[in-house]
Amino acid sequence: MGRIKQKGKAGAAKAYVTRSYAVKRLQCTLADFRRLCILKGENSNHSQKTKGIFPREPRHKKRANKGSTAPTSFYYAKDITYLAHEPVLKKLREHKAFAKKISRAIGRGEWSTAKNLDENKPTYRLDHIIKERYPTFIDAIRDIDDALCMIYLFASLPSDGRVSPSLIENCTRLTAEWQLYVMHSRSLRKVFLSIKGVYYQAEVMDQTVTWLTPYQFTQNVPSDVDVRVMLTFLELYQTLMGFVFFKLYTDSGLVYPPPLDQNKDDAAAGIGAFSLQEVDHKVIAKPEKAAPGTKSVSSKEVRQTIKSIGVNASANEDADMDVPQETTESAEIDEEFVPQTSASDPNAISALPTLQSISSLPQAAPTKLFEPFTFFLSRESSRPIFEFLVRSFGGRIGWPSSVGGGSPFAESDDSITHVIIDRPLVEKPNESAEERERRLRRKYVQPQWIVDCINAGKILLEDLYAQGKTLPPHLSPFAARAGAYDPMAGPTREELAAEDEGAEESQEEVSDVEGEDTDKLTLAAAAVMATDDPDSLRAAELAAEAAGIEFGEFEKEVQKSHKKSKKKEVVNEAEGEDMNKMMMSKRKRKLYERMKYGERKRAAENSILEEKRQKISKEKRRQAKG
Amino acid sequence: MVSDITGQLKRVYPDIEPEYDSDSSTEDAPNRVGNVPMHWYDDLPHVGYDMNGKSILRPARGDELDKFLQTVEDPSAWTKAFDKNTQMDKPLTPEELDLIRRLQAGENPDSSYDPYEPMVEWFTGKGKEEVMPLSAAPEPKRRWIASKWEKQKIMKIVRAIRQGRILPSKPKTASDKPAFYAIWNEPSSAHPPAMPAPKPHLPTNAESYNPPEEYIPTKEEREQWEATEREDRERDYLPQKYSALRLVPAYDRFIQERFNRQLDLYLAPRIQRKKLNIDPNSLLPKLPSPSSLKPFPNYKSLKFTHGKGRARCLSVSPDGAWVASGDEGGIVSLWEVNVGREVKRWKFDSKICAIEWSPRQDASFFVVGMYDKIHFLIPPNLSSILFTSTQSLLAPATLPPSTQPTVKWMSASSSSPEDEPILTMILPPGSGAPKQLTWHKKGDYLASVSNSENQGGVWIHHIQRRHSQAPFTKIKGDVQLVQFHPSKPQFFVATQRYVRLYDLAEQKLLKTLLPGIKWISSMDIHSSGDHLIVGGYDRKLCWFDLELSEKPYKILRYHSRAIRSLQFHPTYPLFASSSDDGSIQIFHARVYNDLMTDPLIVPLKILRGHNITDGLGVLQVKWVSRQPWLVSAGADGGVIVWCS
Repeated sequence: MGRIKQKGKAGAAKAYVTRSYAVKRLQCTLADFRRLCILKGENSNHSQKTKGIFPREPRHKKRANKGSTAPTSFYYAKDITYLAHEPVLKKLREHKAFAKKISRAIGRGEWSTAKNLDENKPTYRLDHIIKERYPTFIDAIRDIDDALCMIYLFASLPSDGRVSPSLIENCTRLTAEWQLYVMHSRSLRKVFLSIKGVYYQAEVMDQTVTWLTPYQFTQNVPSDVDVRVMLTFLELYQTLMGFVFFKLYTDSGLVYPPPLDQNKDDAAAGIGAFSLQEVDHKVIAKPEKAAPGTKSVSSKEVRQTIKSIGVNASANEDADMDVPQETTESAEIDEEFVPQTSASDPNAISALPTLQSISSLPQAAPTKLFEPFTFFLSRESSRPIFEFLVRSFGGRIGWPSSVGGGSPFAESDDSITHVIIDRPLVEKPNESAEERERRLRRKYVQPQWIVDCINAGKILLEDLYAQGKTLPPHLSPFAARAGAYDPMAGPTREELAAEDEGAEESQEEVSDVEGEDTDKLTLAAAAVMATDDPDSLRAAELAAEAAGIEFGEFEKEVQKSHKKSKKKEVVNEAEGEDMNKMMMSKRKRKLYERMKYGERKRAAENSILEEKRQKISKEKRRQAKG
Repeated sequence: MVSDITGQLKRVYPDIEPEYDSDSSTEDAPNRVGNVPMHWYDDLPHVGYDMNGKSILRPARGDELDKFLQTVEDPSAWTKAFDKNTQMDKPLTPEELDLIRRLQAGENPDSSYDPYEPMVEWFTGKGKEEVMPLSAAPEPKRRWIASKWEKQKIMKIVRAIRQGRILPSKPKTASDKPAFYAIWNEPSSAHPPAMPAPKPHLPTNAESYNPPEEYIPTKEEREQWEATEREDRERDYLPQKYSALRLVPAYDRFIQERFNRQLDLYLAPRIQRKKLNIDPNSLLPKLPSPSSLKPFPNYKSLKFTHGKGRARCLSVSPDGAWVASGDEGGIVSLWEVNVGREVKRWKFDSKICAIEWSPRQDASFFVVGMYDKIHFLIPPNLSSILFTSTQSLLAPATLPPSTQPTVKWMSASSSSPEDEPILTMILPPGSGAPKQLTWHKKGDYLASVSNSENQGGVWIHHIQRRHSQAPFTKIKGDVQLVQFHPSKPQFFVATQRYVRLYDLAEQKLLKTLLPGIKWISSMDIHSSGDHLIVGGYDRKLCWFDLELSEKPYKILRYHSRAIRSLQFHPTYPLFASSSDDGSIQIFHARVYNDLMTDPLIVPLKILRGHNITDGLGVLQVKWVSRQPWLVSAGADGGVIVWCS
């Protein structure tokens, strides 16, 4: 006989701990525990089973909670022991002690002690957590969607007692850095103007990154939102973004952080206030620095110099943005990989795609879409959005000084080809000849044109989007689920046929009354359908001819009976399915029912939309007629 | 005055003089009843008793008007209070009035208390100081000599500062690491990467600021959306259309949605779920198509209608040409299967509960069960040979000796008209209408089930001997149905929950089948004798393989209401079930001779044609023996023939 098993020493009682026990065990406050959970998030540092510190649902609550069924949240005991070794937890405890000390010093009026303490305030770093949560860079890129959304949100918040101005400033800086990188690497792919904000999708390191930015309005933090939670997340995200940007910038040969021009920033230049710098400390915006120092001149240096001159020429055109795209193109041509065929089986080798063949392929996304154009933004459309969009696709853009400084050109510039305008058309009574000439030369488009062009991957006709016109609908560029309703699909042939049929049927009723001929005819047709082979069809045709029925009429009848039989078949099929369902096991039947339910629901949604569309189009046609 | 004992001053109090005034007892209230509730005296003329035991009469008290007048006339009326003891108003004394005034003003009630007594200086002032210290210990040396240990400690710090081990003003940044560095350049740990958080759904066309018009919700959709709880909504926003981008307002739930996403990120457990990407139709079992299993009844051929009452029961003749059907109005109709023409009609005075055609080849007759009676009827237009053999069977010239007192067998008298039953069995009184009649395969024995108390109401009648016997003296449970085994001398008895199989020869219980049905309604045995189907009022249909187990081989539950009747086809591999939902379901049921292959059951067809009346649908189904045809009797009074 083995040892007597004691209750509560093994199994669920041991594996799970309640939250209050966890807090007690870690000797921290509940708020600190929450903060730790957010910061640590997913972890993969021990067994596969535990994948993060968040509440678990034990299979038997009663067993896990020592016989009590009171509603509590459970954590894995292993997770908690793992958390106990967290350096951040140590720092949090130190901070608690520090807070006590400093409050005592202030209470006693010992100002110098308080100052001394404050200077040596314990702070924690999140580097190890970042590394732990995202072991590789790709993991981090894959998970920056939420981080970007949060940073964009906080960049648009007003500062108050809970949200400090420095935090908002940092978020603004991070958003600017991200936008600069996206513009620089030309990685923006899709944009969607939604009622919630603007969705952007970029492709960074072959990962799609989607983020949502609110429209430029003051957001107020609602009372039912716990700001502490958001700030803890933001703390983590800021660190993560810092590391990610560092890697992205250094990988593309840029200095991180990009230097900020304070004067430009004060003039509300937005992202224009930052300048991208190459790692070898040549500021692109300053061409005189790029001049070669005349020392020992090697052929390599000459080549580099020529390259940098080319770069600076382009940089002159485009303020501070463009960094050589050509570098990859001008790379020396490598030796070709030639597949060696074996003598015995010449077809055995399949050539692998080489780097050259990949780079010579046409690029999937047209990143130079707006390169030939120069835009001017009128003051009612949002500058941060359209400046980012146009410059991401190689266009030049200017704006009036009322929406911020740093515009590369004024409104009177002759190179402007398009004006992005979001105003109704108003006739100007006193227009000078010059203005008129300028107006005719330029194209005035509504902001949606830019976005639709980007999503379509080509320049669309401007006429549809001209100033004051009713815009065509703006559709989501994100691939919808297969079989979803497609608003752009025109009325299908079947529908048109159905409409015709409706007309026909009314005729039929009339013809049915006519006489016996048709009755005979239907009989003949029915006979054809019953046998359904070409011989009998032929025979029926002949019979019809003998009876003196026109061929066209006969055809019609045949088709009608065809349709009827089809309908019958559908009914029969449904019945057969019903009968088959009886023989399924309960589990399978439930699964089947669920799948069918989903299918039916989607179909119903689609049909509702379809119906509405038809109704609207009919209404429109009627209005056009009347 | 100086005390004699201590020599100190002492206070001298005046002597107490025993005068008349000093005794306050005389001033006491004259009423000597004590502290008793005075309402005891409410109904009495007196209010108590004085010291001498004489009753004190109640003083006269004026009414409210008098009281009011008194308060007006007498300026000192407010100083009076009601004395319960004497039951009259007494003026308050000046001391009492003063006390009241003090309490009202919030002053100390004691008039002699002085809150502003002059302070008495006890320890201040000249000559009053305490001159002696509390402790006589000498002043310690440490009070005036610098500490050696403190000096040593300070010197330690000084030396450390000199050697540069301690920086007196450290730079403010806590760590020497840069804020950001190439963190991913170091090799990562061997642990597998964590599960990434699921990405939120990408926006669809409906979220556009300028969606196609069909996405704009109608008024009803909008109202419905507003009426549902936020958690139950399918979409967290209503599609809206703006004619220009400048008109798009801020989204009011932006922060909440971000916050909810974060709550999901840190509170929701992450589970990897395999998404099934299969065609739902692939889940359907691969059964042979019904068309390959033809023939089976699939359309309504004709309908015979009973005028009044439900058609309860029916029976098809063994040659498959005739149908006898009975209704609750007491009418038994005999009609042709092919054309539905009624040939003959019998009228009885109670409702017909069961009809069963005799399976005999050499005689043609059927039995009809009704209240307390079972009639034997001979159809008309029989060939003369058949008619005489039937008559000789049912009404032989020499009657066997009557042995049975409980069940009476009565032959029709020769004088009675032709449509009278040729033979009648009168069941013991109180047994009610027989629920079921069933023939043995050879047609010698007829079993009937009626609700009798002790022996289950089961009777087995031997036709030739005109003998009825109750096989069970006592049976557990309420017998619902009985059935003869088609080939063996065995007998199935279905009680409410179980089906029992008895050996009639050895008279013992062979096995008990457990269908798991709450209330058995119908049962039939396959002609091979190895398979049994049992239907119940709880919609279940159980298929038993008698060789296999006592538990059902298959349970089918597809009727939406109670099952009423079941029957195997005698020759075709078919069986039918009928239910209160008004439908009849036809199954293909192929039974294989080898024991290894499971029987194949394929649902073939649902026949609908009966109306549901009073919650009852199709009450009985019977197969036509040589054709794949089915006859069904419904509660709507119709009897329908279904043909293939």
